Amino acid sequence: MKFTVIAETNEDLLHPTVYQLIGAISKIGAETTVICPNGKGSSEASKIKGVEKVISVNGDCFHLFDGSAWSTAINSVCEGTIVISASPNGREIGAMIAAKRDIPIIQDVTAISAGIEVTRPIYSGKATETLLINGDSVITLRPNAFENAELGNEAPISIVDQTSDLKISIIEAIGKASERLDVTEAEIIISGGRGMGSIDNFSHLESMADTLGAAVGASRAVVDEWGMPHRMQVGQTGKTVSPSLYIAVGISGAIQHLAGMRSSKYILAINKDPDAPIFTVADYGIVASWEDALPILKSELMKL
Amino acid sequence: MNIAVLLKQVPDTTAKITISNGKVDENNVSKWSMSPYDEYALESGLQLKEVTGGSLIAITCGPERTKKMLTDAAAVGADKLIHISEDKVLDSTQVQKLLAATVEKSGAEVVLCGKQAADTNSGSTGPGVAEILNAVCVSMVSEVSINENNFISTRPSNSGAEKVSSNGISVFTFDKGISELRRPNVRGIMMAKKKTIETIKPEEIGLEIENSDRITLQSQNSPPEKEPGQIFEGVENIPEIVSKLRNEANVI
Amino acid sequence: MGYEALDFYEVDSLLSDEERMVRDMVRDWVDKEVIPNIENACREGVFPDEWRAALGEMGVLGAPLKGYDCPGLSYTAYGVICRELERGDSGLRSFASVQGSLAMYPIWDFGSEEQKNHYLPKMTSGEWIGCFGLTEPDYGSNPGDMITRAEEMDDHYLLNGAKMWITNGTIADLAVVWAKLNGVIRGFIVEKNDPGFSAPEMKGKHSLKASVTSELVFQDCKIPKDRILPGVKGLRGPFSCLNNARFGISWGAVGAAQSCFHSAKDYAMSRIQFDHPIASYQLVQNKLAWMLREITKAQLLAYHLGKMKDVGEWIPEHISLAKMNNVDVALEIARVARDIHGANGILDEYPVMRHMANLESVKTYEGTHDIHNLILGRHITGIQSFTREI
Ligand SMILES: Cc1cc2nc3c(=O)[nH]c(=O)nc-3n(C[C@H](O)[C@H](O)[C@H](O)COP(=O)(O)OP(=O)(O)OC[C@H]3O[C@@H](n4cnc5c(N)ncnc54)[C@H](O)[C@@H]3O)c2cc1C
Ligand SMILES: Cc1cc2nc3c(=O)[nH]c(=O)nc-3n(C[C@H](O)[C@H](O)[C@H](O)COP(=O)(O)OP(=O)(O)OC[C@H]3O[C@@H](n4cnc5c(N)ncnc54)[C@H](O)[C@@H]3O)c2cc1C
Repeated sequence: MKFTVIAETNEDLLHPTVYQLIGAISKIGAETTVICPNGKGSSEASKIKGVEKVISVNGDCFHLFDGSAWSTAINSVCEGTIVISASPNGREIGAMIAAKRDIPIIQDVTAISAGIEVTRPIYSGKATETLLINGDSVITLRPNAFENAELGNEAPISIVDQTSDLKISIIEAIGKASERLDVTEAEIIISGGRGMGSIDNFSHLESMADTLGAAVGASRAVVDEWGMPHRMQVGQTGKTVSPSLYIAVGISGAIQHLAGMRSSKYILAINKDPDAPIFTVADYGIVASWEDALPILKSELMKL
Repeated sequence: MNIAVLLKQVPDTTAKITISNGKVDENNVSKWSMSPYDEYALESGLQLKEVTGGSLIAITCGPERTKKMLTDAAAVGADKLIHISEDKVLDSTQVQKLLAATVEKSGAEVVLCGKQAADTNSGSTGPGVAEILNAVCVSMVSEVSINENNFISTRPSNSGAEKVSSNGISVFTFDKGISELRRPNVRGIMMAKKKTIETIKPEEIGLEIENSDRITLQSQNSPPEKEPGQIFEGVENIPEIVSKLRNEANVI
Repeated sequence: MGYEALDFYEVDSLLSDEERMVRDMVRDWVDKEVIPNIENACREGVFPDEWRAALGEMGVLGAPLKGYDCPGLSYTAYGVICRELERGDSGLRSFASVQGSLAMYPIWDFGSEEQKNHYLPKMTSGEWIGCFGLTEPDYGSNPGDMITRAEEMDDHYLLNGAKMWITNGTIADLAVVWAKLNGVIRGFIVEKNDPGFSAPEMKGKHSLKASVTSELVFQDCKIPKDRILPGVKGLRGPFSCLNNARFGISWGAVGAAQSCFHSAKDYAMSRIQFDHPIASYQLVQNKLAWMLREITKAQLLAYHLGKMKDVGEWIPEHISLAKMNNVDVALEIARVARDIHGANGILDEYPVMRHMANLESVKTYEGTHDIHNLILGRHITGIQSFTREI
């Protein structure tokens, strides 16, 4: 069975997820061809175990992202089961290649086994499904759900010149909006409570939120007593949120607070009181003062 | 300009999903709604229509119950409602073919849809339809406008966002849009009730659809139970926790 | 989180598609715009102007009236609208009841063609607010003896007297006022700038705080001759308006009760005392089960009455029974819900005490609970007992 991985890059390096794609394929005992659009990361890819060969597809169209042009250029060298990261661009290219080849596509796979059998979450994670694929397909894999392949290989690299007409042009770049995310929209929320000591200390939470692309939330005590805006309040009389990760810092976990955040997928609590009720709902708890814990947490996050 | 909006009906995001006999029990879904990103596509389509004139064609492929969603779309201003009726088990490419053929038949010059539907969360439909139509595709846009003969859309980029220009038949997949969604009103609801829903069978648009045997559903399950919480004294375990959040929980 | 209305017998499955769409529209709006702002409105004692505009935009004002740009919905749909509004707040529903059933309806039924064309389109769009002046300081349950009088002059009518407890009075652009002309009750349309007319607000309510209640004062108030409602004489005029408003209330009360049930259930499930959620104790379950029972009965009553209204086969006593029963149980449900919330129940963080206080007014206005008892008593026995020789 043949596999083709389409590599995404981060500047000139391979995106870390490429190692995971190759790792997943190795796990089911197969080798894969890796396609590097515009040659980026090709020599790095050739060194990864489980790579049979690397094809760098060179063309003008890779200067800006146009899924249609990219997939046309890449498709010409794809073979067998095509594997891409379930990133926004990966999903788009994958869907287009599947349509071109008239093969099915399964997006956002979190487990794969020989057969090929894949599992993916559906209904925003409220259920999962396992599918058996018959014949060639495109599979996109969820980032960070698979183990990395290791280095230690010397796969051959070939170069194919293949471009395609861009159908779009970029007319204006717009800087990142400085406005912070709203708690109801964010995938990650960092909330502070009275344990933060004063409103000024929220700057520690804000800088961590910037690192993570998170929103900052607050307990009612902070909103009422320190005048934080009410839109930040999480809880029964504030916002009900269910992010993938909720980090509660210096929040005791009163029932009214829990009412607004207990359906978060993961909860990390930092509180110096081991008996704080917030720990009863936390997946991970750190019994420590935030003064001690936040700097370490932040530096660990920066390493990612 | 005729504008096609592709809509999917999904269990409301607040609805409980229950599993019985290894399958999601659709009969137990308390509320079906238009997939949230599709609502932004519809809103943007209505705004485009207000500028360019023409008609807004709402298209869905799914079981009978999805007709209600088309009527909801009519209540806020969709002019034509098309229901592609097919009882067979379809895979993503088959659905895309049906939608693309219907778009072609409708004469639409622009196609709007959600970046992904809230049930499968896949995001294959827009790009797939674009591919089949040989159309331009811009994904995850927050707004689309028209300037002379070009579409100007806004999509995220590494540095924030960028404005993208395209022309010719284009497919836009919507993230959360920047516009407030409009509310229906009684007048719209009464007109919607009178609107007929055109039902299209695959044969009528020249497609033979077989039950897909390329993908077999083995089982659907409840998500794995979370492990009980782990509480650590002191700060030593923070690196471990971060790595678990990343590698096991996959949330950072 | 989406609001899932208690509907144990799935009574809403009997609604038409159109009625369900209207329900969802109003429910959504109440969730997004009313519930987050209601406590503030109550604290400040105002009816937010955005709500007036939104009700007009949604097109629900004067719901069952046909023509003159009015919605032309079924009575059942009107009931559903009232229920969804009152789930938010009885003051909001009061606004809509007064506008639709008490101000628009008499113009629609008893007005001249010119009056209908002039007033109704602007009232259904929410641009003009109406109020209804029947009650007087000295005549509440017994409006037939009202004092407010109209005199016919050469080119105008002259009104003298005062009305009290008038919902929307101060914010109204026009008032439908019932007054005696040569001893016969007639309806008049008074506009806010008519000379001799004022509408001071009544302050200090513990109930319906987000609804404006006013006096209407007429001191040699001059109104043009074409402002009399030509189509009705006697108490039949105001009473036919009240029939429609009471019908809406019988549905509205269900909404308030659903809201209280919802809050009580959630609270009981999460409140732990003596190591367990209070919802696990039999006494609490008994209360919740009783609420479920009464709400389900009230829903069936309202629904069937809606069908009777829609086919036109009803008598006022049918409406009396539904208004009386549904408000009565809703008020009791609010009290029990308040109890389940413990001390938290008295806070404006929870809707229960607000509903409870609101429903006290609802029990009194539009015919007090006991007046409806007397109406039914008269119906059963044929003997009126409103008054007697002493
Ligand atoms: C009707 C009602 C509705 C309510 N609605 C809400 C709501 O929507 N949202 C909400 O949040 N609350 C709500 N509350 C209030 C709620 O009951 C609590 O009072 C509130 O959540 C407490 O906020 P807190 O956890 O920040 O403060 P506290 O309870 O005072 O907790 C502070 C915590 O910080 C810890 N701490 C102190 N110093 C440090 C340090 N240096 N490092 C680490 N930890 C430290 C302490 O151990 C303690 O656990 C409501 C209450 C009522 C009655
Ligand atoms: C918030 C609010 C808004 C209102 N809005 C309006 C409005 O928009 N327009 C309007 O015209 N009116 C309005 N009303 C007035 C309302 O309709 C009257 O309050 C109602 O008709 C009762 O009249 P009353 O308050 O004078 O009570 P009363 O008639 O004095 O009744 C007092 C008590 O005596 C009982 N009672 C009276 N007669 C008898 C009897 N014969 N036998 C036994 N018991 C009897 C009653 O049941 C009640 O318990 C409003 C009232 C409130 C509180």
